[in-house]
Amino acid sequence: MLNLIPNFLMQAESDKLGSAFTPGLPNTPKTFWLPEGASTIASEIDWIFNFINYINYFFFFLVVSIMLYFVWKYRQKGRDVYARGPSHHLMLELGWTILPTIIVVVIFFMGFRGFIDMRVPPANSYQIDVTAQRFAWSFKYPNGAVSNDLFVPAGQPVKLIMRSEDVLHSLFIRDFRVKQDVVPGRFATLWFQADQPTEGDKFHWVFCTEFCGTGHSLMNSKCFVLPEADFKEWETEQARWLDKIPAEELYFKAGPKLFARCASCHTLDGKLGTGPSWGNYDGTGNVWERNQVGTSRKVDGGKALSDFIGPGKQYETPEGYLRASILNPGEHLSDPYGNAMPTFRGQITDKGIDALIGFMKHLDEFDAKGVWLKAPPAAAATDPAKPAVK
Amino acid sequence: MTTLDARPISTPAPDNYLTHTRGLMSWVFTLDHKRIGVMYLFAVLSSFFVGGVMALLVRTKLLFPGEVSWMTADQYNKAFTLHGAIMVFLVIIPSVPAALGNFIMPIMLGAKDVAFPRLNLFSFYLWVLGAICAVWSLLAGGFDTGWTFYTPYSTQFSAGGTIPVLVGVFILGFSSIFTGLNFIVTIHKLRPPGMTWFRMPLFLWAIYATAIIQVLATPVLGITVALLVIERSFNIGIFDPSMGGDPVLFQHFFWFYSHPAVYIMVLPGMGIISDIIAVHSHRHIFGFRFIAFSSIAIAVFSFLVWGHHMFTSGQSPLMNVLFSAITFSVAIPSAVKVFNWLATLYKGSISLNTPMLYGLSFIFLFTIGGLTGIPLAVISTDIHLHDTYFVVAHFHYVMMGSALIAMIGGLHHWWPKMFGVMYSEFWGRIGCALVFVGFNITFFSQFMLGSQGMPRRYYQYQPEFQIYHHISTGGSYIMGLGFVITAIYLIHSLFAGKKAPANPWGGASLEWQCSSPPPHDNFATTPRVGDCYDFSAVRWDEKEQGYVVDTEAHIASANSGKGH
Repeated sequence: MLNLIPNFLMQAESDKLGSAFTPGLPNTPKTFWLPEGASTIASEIDWIFNFINYINYFFFFLVVSIMLYFVWKYRQKGRDVYARGPSHHLMLELGWTILPTIIVVVIFFMGFRGFIDMRVPPANSYQIDVTAQRFAWSFKYPNGAVSNDLFVPAGQPVKLIMRSEDVLHSLFIRDFRVKQDVVPGRFATLWFQADQPTEGDKFHWVFCTEFCGTGHSLMNSKCFVLPEADFKEWETEQARWLDKIPAEELYFKAGPKLFARCASCHTLDGKLGTGPSWGNYDGTGNVWERNQVGTSRKVDGGKALSDFIGPGKQYETPEGYLRASILNPGEHLSDPYGNAMPTFRGQITDKGIDALIGFMKHLDEFDAKGVWLKAPPAAAATDPAKPAVK
Repeated sequence: MTTLDARPISTPAPDNYLTHTRGLMSWVFTLDHKRIGVMYLFAVLSSFFVGGVMALLVRTKLLFPGEVSWMTADQYNKAFTLHGAIMVFLVIIPSVPAALGNFIMPIMLGAKDVAFPRLNLFSFYLWVLGAICAVWSLLAGGFDTGWTFYTPYSTQFSAGGTIPVLVGVFILGFSSIFTGLNFIVTIHKLRPPGMTWFRMPLFLWAIYATAIIQVLATPVLGITVALLVIERSFNIGIFDPSMGGDPVLFQHFFWFYSHPAVYIMVLPGMGIISDIIAVHSHRHIFGFRFIAFSSIAIAVFSFLVWGHHMFTSGQSPLMNVLFSAITFSVAIPSAVKVFNWLATLYKGSISLNTPMLYGLSFIFLFTIGGLTGIPLAVISTDIHLHDTYFVVAHFHYVMMGSALIAMIGGLHHWWPKMFGVMYSEFWGRIGCALVFVGFNITFFSQFMLGSQGMPRRYYQYQPEFQIYHHISTGGSYIMGLGFVITAIYLIHSLFAGKKAPANPWGGASLEWQCSSPPPHDNFATTPRVGDCYDFSAVRWDEKEQGYVVDTEAHIASANSGKGH
């Protein structure tokens, strides 16, 4: 406990000096109770948690040892023994009413102080817009870049402005000790500062902690902390990555990456997910052929994809149908699926839609996880897990 | 042989409430609070079985971090929702007040019945109707909102059985309100002469405090679920932001009921424990007034702390701070109770019968449940722990480790009174030990799981959490075994148990002074009331194989002012 005090005091000191002061706190290692601490507030929160824990240990062992001692010492000896213990003692009772009161008042003020530190973002915070949708996070950066995993610059306060497209979600980065519910119809904010870049393939989990339905437990992203220069480079690259890909290479270069956002609900191998599979139900072909030849499975006489597409139908070509389904998902549902998909209007460019349609057309070139089977063996190896475009 | 107020113990009443009338209809239309209590008990324990099976299914799934072929994510979501909803609405809330309270409360009070016997029966049938709605919900596709029914998920996305279960919760709410109303009036109006407030057993104080919460808080729940049904059925925007509503408003409404409801669940349990500890220590309860008033204090404070469920919801930071501060006010009366129970053990004559083992288990588990509430009441640490398994572990320690363990302890304490038979003391202790050990293995591991960051309501999880889940699931099987053994020896005792004396433990409150099982009308004459925690006139009687109370000495001792 003692070795944590300096960090705690340093945190308090940094408030006085203003948010520009960045002490560059080292991460705290995972302990028996708490995960790695990787944000500037983590050490303060952990200190309070540990402090309460020690108080709790003390009172728990006090209560249980007194109980066990009395049970042994005053065990019944013979059935007829009636015991004459005291029935009350005013001072004693006042004492054990007042003592806990003092302790909890102290603890309250510690928690209050920590909370204020957590809630007030410094003025120079780097702002990232977060959109929560069932069942994925989407992060949008000031220069227009969008990613499914969260990338943040090290040593700089980061403020998340969050909104939900559908139900309640909650963004939880455990290593940063921050959590905030994302309520539809409101903007929620959250801030943190991570001083140490994540190394190698390490990252911090971003969990959804407010129950949001079937894929709730899959609604997690990774948070990568990059050194400031690397982050700038990544951000610029991320904003342009789609534009740089030639049209004929879109489907295998961009398609799988865009599909990662869809994979929490849609599969490629015909397995039923929260949404319809893009692959055929017998495991052959793809959604494209299925629509062309009208082999889509009908359930309970409801609408199949092929009911929307074809000469004289709502959409002459599948492209039109697919485009509309990404932008206005609720308008033409295929049974047995309800209106569960959020709109992606504003989140995906036309080029991105082209890439996804191309991806669906060429599903036979991909495995069930969306890995391109025709990739040259060398290309697959040069894909670093972290800063690659997402 | 001593003469008692009601009937001499050695000449039991010609019949008892079980044999007074016969036939199915005599039960279906009974107005006897004891029979209604027994029907509640049967219904609540059946629901407990169903909810327990759901819990074991959920725990078994969680042995595996990924998907399992025999339970999809949707089925998992429905299973944990059903577990929570059954345990809260069908089991814990009615368990002590409606089942044990119905049976014991009027007898303890010295009354022949509750104030409104017909309303009492009506409450029971409302419970049955609510349970039928839960079954209807399952047939309509189940529901997967979690027991909290958070909007807008519950109005837009959740499975087809959501409206039926909301209707069920609405009806169960009325069952609870009527029971509370009935008990308040009973305690005010039907106390016999001499039964002053400060001679009333602490179980009755607890039941009374609970009844106040039931009557004042439950209507809010009723309105809330009714609004939810209206929104879901007619698309009227109340909580859904896409129609102009406010989902956080729902959380305020919901917790305005559901936080006091936590005390509806645990306060009666605390009452049971006060009685068990005193009777099985054979000495006067320590600090009667502090315990009694702490029940009332908890009931009052419980209405002011609901916002601590919403520290991360986006409510204003000022409200977070206020709710955090007020929340600590509940910690103090809870701590006072624990210290008073400990002091009651001091210089006692402690017999480790099965009910007492449950009583001591309660002190152990409630201490953990209460202390782990502190990091959840402190805002900055709650931000990290909220909606993780830490919260799951904490409220299981309070709602199961405390409320339900007290209920089972109370069941063992009054089982001889209710059915006139003794269960096997040996198997009783084995069952209690298994439940206690299994419970701690199951839920203590979940504290680590949660503080390490595992969110609740996850179907799949990261492999790093698997070890804790394995420990937890192992514990749940041990606990399940404990409950199976308990069910077996209790049922066995009904058919083959030794006949119970009127007063097997040496209690001095009124219920021990009528025969086991009690006669139809409880007391032939108005009982005379002494100090129910004064055990100086209680003696073991070889012939009875039970304790007897020397009434004259008991009353004289109380009137001499030696009590409190």
